[in-house]
Amino acid sequence: MKITFPYWGNYTVAFELLAKKLNLEVVPPEKTTPRTIEKGVKIAPEMYCFPLKVNLGNFLEAIEKGADTIVMPTALGGSCRLRYYAFVQDKVLKENGKNVNFVIFDQSLDIFSKLKKISGASFFKMIEATIFTLKALNIIEKLEKKAQYLRPREIEKGDTDRVLISAFRRMREIEKFSELLKFEKEIMKELNQIKIKRKKVPRVGILGEIYTVCDHVVNFEIEKKLGNLGVEVHREMSLLYHLKKKIFFKDFFIQRKIKPYLGSTVGGHGRDAIYEMLKYVKKGFDGVIQLLPSFCMPETSVRPILEKIHQETGIPFLSLSLDEQVAEAGIDTRIEAFVDVVKNYYQKKQKT
Amino acid sequence: MKAYLGIDVGSLTVKFVLIDKKGEVLYWNYERTGGRPIEAIQRELKKLKEWIENHNPKIEISGVGTTGSARYLAGVIVGADLIKNEITAHAKGASFLVPEVRTVIDIGGQDSKIIILENGVAVDFAMNYLCAAGTGSFLDAQAFRLGIPIEKFGELVLKSKKPTTIASRCTVFCESDMIHKQQIGHKVEDIVAGLCEGLVRNYLSNVAKGKKILSPILFVGGVSENVGMRWAFEKALGQKVIVPKYNKVMGAFGVALLVKEHPPQKTKFRGFEISDMDIKCDSFQCKGCPNQCEVIEAKMNDKIIARWGDRCGRWSNLRYD
Repeated sequence: MKITFPYWGNYTVAFELLAKKLNLEVVPPEKTTPRTIEKGVKIAPEMYCFPLKVNLGNFLEAIEKGADTIVMPTALGGSCRLRYYAFVQDKVLKENGKNVNFVIFDQSLDIFSKLKKISGASFFKMIEATIFTLKALNIIEKLEKKAQYLRPREIEKGDTDRVLISAFRRMREIEKFSELLKFEKEIMKELNQIKIKRKKVPRVGILGEIYTVCDHVVNFEIEKKLGNLGVEVHREMSLLYHLKKKIFFKDFFIQRKIKPYLGSTVGGHGRDAIYEMLKYVKKGFDGVIQLLPSFCMPETSVRPILEKIHQETGIPFLSLSLDEQVAEAGIDTRIEAFVDVVKNYYQKKQKT
Repeated sequence: MKAYLGIDVGSLTVKFVLIDKKGEVLYWNYERTGGRPIEAIQRELKKLKEWIENHNPKIEISGVGTTGSARYLAGVIVGADLIKNEITAHAKGASFLVPEVRTVIDIGGQDSKIIILENGVAVDFAMNYLCAAGTGSFLDAQAFRLGIPIEKFGELVLKSKKPTTIASRCTVFCESDMIHKQQIGHKVEDIVAGLCEGLVRNYLSNVAKGKKILSPILFVGGVSENVGMRWAFEKALGQKVIVPKYNKVMGAFGVALLVKEHPPQKTKFRGFEISDMDIKCDSFQCKGCPNQCEVIEAKMNDKIIARWGDRCGRWSNLRYD
């Protein structure tokens, strides 16, 4: 049995490590490319949300390399069309003559029994693997956060990304927990050695659908682009944020905070988007960007609310809807213009 | 005499504006690219050179800025000191001419945008997504289909007494609705007037959705030449819509002003000789990683001057002198 899973930004490394830790034979997904997306779009239902199409492309490429079992989480605590992803993908792949097994992780708590069934690992082993993966995720997010700080300040443009690319390549080879800790120390040291100019720069918050904001291929490396244009990026939404939110019932508190704007859930991370935007406004950020894949219902529902907050507070706001038809040049123009608006806003604020 | 050149290469047209150090326009020109932006730039440069020789040979180009959707290409070819997006450029140009401007409506060949300004700086903007209804290309196509020269299009609209309603959600449906109206016997001027109204409606509900449109409102871009569209905007907004001077070349004017604001020590302008050089662009697929970016390389007289299009910077960060 050879398993595979969807590509999801830098998190892919952590998922790969998890699979290896459980002694599963794994075909790690190739990095998503325009061709991957093309393959997925060809067979996917047209009106489905964009991530499903990208995932299908990833699966097709992995199947070509011999994968026969697909591990697919469907809504670990979310509630949007992601719930049907695995079933739709299963059907689509079968219709196209790809006979693969699906291991579906859903909201029920039988993750462990399912993992046990496919890996045969002991309970202790699984706990160990979970801790290992959580640490790996933690490191990935730490590195991403650090990079967001460094990019606008680095003297030699591109230094940070060079370190990151080699770091994630090295991370794939790690086997032990102690190695992981050592790796973290080394990379942090390397990042700290990058020559930077300490200065105040405009800050922009990114919010939106979790897959799109975290996957740097789908969002055209927006964090890198903004960073190179001299803007510090903040991103609250991440996988660990989502998991923590579920464990500590944070939704209840979020709902109370956003009450004047939205009275109930709209699915997905709709409420979080409003909550984050209000938070960015309160913290004195200089701009907010919303990223959403086309046909994403929760984010489309909250977009007018975010627009309203933007009108009320005057904070620059840009909403980018992404799918296979969007040209990178158009995104670049919008980002560049938005950064100019952000800088105007920032300078006006500095003066007063 | 110091002068600054702004070049705006859009989807259909190329615009050149030459300004002096006070911001006065010395020369401007607006031409179609015919789908060949490089040749158009070369041709326009030649014209500019002739104009300078005939009018004021003392003019010396001390800064060049490019904008428009082909700004990188144009910037590489002419050697630009500043490459700026068209939104910032338009905002700059508009606020220079009308300092108290609050709204800029810009409709070009393929893009339509709205820019909201406060105290002369852009504070908000929006651009059309996935839909080209209401832009120059579509108006061009419809004028061609009806056999009306595009310059006469606006006059015809003003003749209409009873504009008919045209569905404007999407260009394809818009066109079929126009054909339907013509087949049941509506007059051509009523149909084109309805078309302009429909396009304005589409613009206001798609591009300007949720934005507060305050006066003074400036209408710029190629489509602002069309008096029919001006009429339709004034009717829909119930406010005066100003079409300023240099409305067609506002982007180029704005970018020239931006260059003038922060003039370079020494301009990177390659000189007027490039209009006689052999400039070619070619592309290849990089095999360095799974991304397989399409890298574009520009050659001037068989010497590579720049490469771009790669994500990692493997090609674009190399030095080409």
